[in-house]
Order: sequence, then C-alpha cells, then structure tokens
Amino acid sequence: MFRSLRKPETQSVSININGQTVQVAEGSSLWAAMALHGETQTRLASVSGQQRSAYCAMGVCFECLVEINGVPNQQACMTTVEEGMHVSSQHLTEQSIAALHQKESADHE
Amino acid sequence: MSDIFDIAIIGAGPGGMSAALEAAQQGASVAVLDRKATPGGQIYRDVTQSPLLDPSVLGREYTEGAELVRAFLEADIDRHQNADVWHIGENGEVLYSQDNQTRRLVARELIISPGAMERPFPIEGWHLPGVMTAGSAQVMLKSDGMVKDGAIFAGTGPLLYLIVAQYLRLGVTVNAVVDTTPAGGVGRAMQHLGGALRKPAYLIKGLKLLNEIRRAGVPVFRHASNLSILGESKAVGLQFQQDGRTHSINAGHIFLHQGVIPNLNMTRALGMEHHWAEQQLCWTPVLDDWGQSSIPHIAVVGDAAGIQGAEAARHAGRLAALKAMNKLGKLNDADLQQESSANLKAIKSFKAFRSFLDAYYPPTPEHRIPVATNTLVCRCEEQTMGQLRAGFEQGAKDPNALKALTRCGMGPCQGRQCGHTVSELLADWQNKPVSDIGYYRLRSPQRLLSVEELSQFQNIKPVQKPAEVSA
Ligand SMILES: Cc1cc2nc3c(=O)[nH]c(=O)nc-3n(C[C@H](O)[C@H](O)[C@H](O)COP(=O)(O)OP(=O)(O)OC[C@H]3O[C@@H](n4cnc5c(N)ncnc54)[C@H](O)[C@@H]3O)c2cc1C
Ligand code: FES
Repeated sequence: MFRSLRKPETQSVSININGQTVQVAEGSSLWAAMALHGETQTRLASVSGQQRSAYCAMGVCFECLVEINGVPNQQACMTTVEEGMHVSSQHLTEQSIAALHQKESADHE
Repeated sequence: MSDIFDIAIIGAGPGGMSAALEAAQQGASVAVLDRKATPGGQIYRDVTQSPLLDPSVLGREYTEGAELVRAFLEADIDRHQNADVWHIGENGEVLYSQDNQTRRLVARELIISPGAMERPFPIEGWHLPGVMTAGSAQVMLKSDGMVKDGAIFAGTGPLLYLIVAQYLRLGVTVNAVVDTTPAGGVGRAMQHLGGALRKPAYLIKGLKLLNEIRRAGVPVFRHASNLSILGESKAVGLQFQQDGRTHSINAGHIFLHQGVIPNLNMTRALGMEHHWAEQQLCWTPVLDDWGQSSIPHIAVVGDAAGIQGAEAARHAGRLAALKAMNKLGKLNDADLQQESSANLKAIKSFKAFRSFLDAYYPPTPEHRIPVATNTLVCRCEEQTMGQLRAGFEQGAKDPNALKALTRCGMGPCQGRQCGHTVSELLADWQNKPVSDIGYYRLRSPQRLLSVEELSQFQNIKPVQKPAEVSA
C-alpha cells in the first residue's frame, strides 16, 4: 500500500472513487488520492484489456487515464481533486468501443 | 497597449522562470504558461508549499529553489498555471487548455522550456501494474507526500540514488537497489575527467548519496544486467543477472530509472530541426548558444534543449531572454554580448561536467533496445518488439512507415514512451546511425482534447499597467 506523510493539518475534500465516498487531502493529485485508497487500477490496455496503472506520475505516459464525472480519458496524475468529484477506473478498450458503435448504429436503424 | 505579448514562455521550471525574470526586469511584457498548479518545474516541484512537515529532508538543492520561485511569484509577469499548451503557430500564436476552456495568446518571441521526461525502460513486464519510474516516486513525494514501502529501485543515474536517499531519510523502507551502471565507470569517463573536476561538489554529492544508501543497510546489487519484471497481470518481482548469476527478488513495486531525455513533442510538432545527440543517446533540437532554434522567433532552453540540469537551465533561460530583448530591439548587440558572457561561460562548464556524468552512468543497450520478442515497445497500442520486427521485415524501414503499418506511436502518449526505442531499433536492424533513421512526424494538438473545451474560447491579452493607462 502507498502511505501518506502529509502534514496533519491539511484540509480534506470528499470524492467518490469507483462507487465509494472517501475523504482525501485538499490539493492532492487524483492519482495519489486513488492510490492511498488502494484504487490503483486506472485504465485497461486498449487491445488486450489487461489492467494498467500509473507509470510516470508526471503526465507523459497516459497510463493513468480514468473517467472523471463521466468524461473518459482524463489523466489522474495531472488532475487536482475537487469536492464532489466522481471518479472511476476506465474500461474502454478497442473491443468495447467497437461494440458501442455497433449498438449505436443498430439503435438508429 | 498592444494585444500581443513581447515574450511568451512555456514552462515554469528553472529555465522558464529565469527567462521570465530577466525579460520582466528588462521591461518586456511577459506571459508564462505552465501546466502544473504551481511553478517550480520538476526539480522545485511544490517547494513553496510542501506537503511534508520538514521539506529539508529532500536536500538543499531542493529547498534552495524556493528563492527562485518566490522571486518569480513577485515579479511583474502574467503567470498562468494549469495552462496546458497544445499548439504553437508559426505566427507566435499559442493555444492552451485552462479551466476547461481553450485559450489563445500571441507573442512576438517565444521561449519554450518544457523540461525532460525519464528515458523509457523497455524491458519484459515494464507495463505491469506495480512498475513505475523512480521520478514518479519523487513526484509523488514532493507533491503529495506519498511513499511506498518495500519497493525495489533499479537502473542508473544520480536521480535514482537521490530518491532512494530521500526515502531512507523519511524512514521509508527500501527492499533493494539494483544498479545497472556498468563496471569501469571512471575509465569509461576518463576523457571527460576535466569536466568533472570543474564541479567537484557535484561529484562528491553523488558519492555521498551512494554511501548514505549503503550505510542504511539497503542491499545494493552493482553492475546488474538483463533486467526483467516478474509477474503475469501485475509485478511480483525483478529478475536480473550479476557476475554471470541470475537473481530474482520478490517485490510488488519496482521503480525504474535510467536517466532523462528532452520532452520532445512540442519542439517536434513545431517542425524544428533536431539531431541525434550520440553522447546523450536522445533527440535534441538544433540550437545556437542562446537557445535560438531553426524557427526565427522561437528559442528552447533547459532540459528540453539537451540534458544539462537545473543550474544550467537557469543560465540558458537568462540567455534566451537577453537574445529575445535584442531581437525586439530593446537591447543592443554590444550589451547583449556583455550581458551574456558570464552565462555562456557557466553553461560551457556544466556541459563539460555533464559529459562526465553521461559517460559514467550510461543507459545500457539491453535496456534501451529490447531483444526479447515479447517486450512491449509501444505501451498504448501494445506493440511488442516482435511485432515491430515483423513490420520492419514487411518493408517499414523508418518510424513513420512502421507507425502506419503497426500503429506504434499512435496511442494517447503520442510516441513519448516508444519514439526513442523505435528510432534505435530501426537503426540497429539496418546497421545505420540513428541520425539516418529519424523520428515520428508529430502534429498538434499535443494532448487529448474534449469537444467541450474547444467550444469555450477566450483570447488572453497583456494586462494594462497603470502607467500606460494614464499615458
Ligand atoms: C521526474 C523528474 C524528476 C526530477 N528531479 C530532479 C531533481 O530532484 N534534481 C535535479 O537536479 N534534477 C531533477 N530532474 C531533472 C530536471 O529536468 C532538471 O533538473 C530541471 O528541472 C530542468 O529544468 P527545466 O526548466 O528545463 O524543466 P522543468 O523543471 O521540467 O520545467 C518544465 C515545466 O514545463 C511544464 N510543461 C511541460 N509541457 C508543457 C505544456 N505542454 N504546457 C504547459 N507547460 C508545460 C511542466 O509542467 C514543467 O513545470 C528531474 C526530472 C524529472 C523528469
Ligand atoms: S501516470 Fe503517466 S501520465 Fe499519468
């Protein structure tokens, strides 16, 4: 587990990670908030669907993509937490996107 | 008052902040754009608002950066944080995302200082959850005070030892250090010894860090080679060779590092001329002594211009600002020469020192140019070395052809994690110098954009100063 050495007097905000509401330090990065709550899975690999997690924590690898308030492809390591934020691990893969397109075109017919 | 800034600077690390301070002091209107919430760049990340009770454990080199950050915060500069630049136009136009909006500003001169990233470490299993970079350990520590006990640190270079020492000072346990620096370092770096002796304090610092790690009782495996990550769906350990024997150590977390390379995407997307720097084994923009690039109004400074470290970045930032003032007609040629001489000299001695470091801590070929066919090269599109080799055998001889055929480099990271590996693999397979192979052709935008932010648009102009209002 990751652990925090943050000064005790830090204010906190509440966010929801994968359906669970948690208190996290104000100003912390979303990746850190997730990792400190054991939620280290970020996106799925787009071809194999394997689980991935943050690699660089500084914005260059794009392994930390998650869905924030319903919007996918957000870098958790480059996002600062905000009160009321809803976050979930991202399940988009090439296959799931293709299935979504198929369903959409079927719905239009 | 003009709607156009004299100078726009991208990146608020030591390079960008020093450029901004000099330009502002010389009376230019200056805008600085940085994608992080606070200025400081990599080295001085969150130095004025550390989450730690006692930031001095991070070392003096870190805490001393607070002075530069404070000066930057107090100067007459238009500072824009959380501003992620994704396009630079030919005409001085800069487009960036901030607060879910697209914003635009225009400047006569641009100085870009987007810094460095860690060199990719393409070994078997490096994509597994539990594997991160040593730089990430430092980022998490500086910005969030977050640490991981019981991890292995593997690779080479001063930054690797620095983060391990920082962990140990904070009582964080370290499972092992697996050092890939090849034997015979001093011999290898001998021809650059003169450069090293010009900066003895830095040399001593590196040795001190290593001693600190050894004294703390952390097992250090020296001259390790052929690293691979153990595990199927997540990392469970590290395997390597030392003295002809194979070792494996169990650990759920492994931090890798083998030096840093310039953050290329911005300079590449601009179509700037680049060359392969053999000594640093990375692509670097072609620049003159003042950081001036092949594009008339754009200079590049700091580690994005070639890895020289934070102090050299400060000198380079100041030089680029002086040159920009000269081009704007606000500093004559004689004054430019006179003002520049001390900085030019300082940079020369940092370069000499860096040559020594580069030779002493080389990233070894086996960890840059994968030989195992199942090693992922492109993490986003999940292309292995074997798949790229097959593409090469089908006729894709350069990075763009290989990209078109295999999709390597087409994912969200836009080639940041595979670009150097692909250049080096293709060179190796054709027995050609990397300079003949080239790099991916890149375009703007340099990030993923949402339709929502594109629909919200705002022009940003210099703030009017009171003196000019009354004039
Ligand atoms: C993870 C990491 C940790 C490091 N730690 C140390 C250390 O402890 N000690 C040390 O001596 N050296 C360290 N370095 C080396 C470091 O690169 C230099 O010491 C120094 O920070 C270089 O200064 P710079 O101004 O060139 O770039 P940086 O300090 O990296 O500053 C670049 C700035 O540009 C911003 N930026 C990048 N792209 C964009 C964009 N598109 N839009 C807007 N802003 C952008 C970044 O957010 C950053 O703030 C580290 C490097 C890395 C990658
Ligand atoms: S962890 Fe690499 S971009 Fe976020």
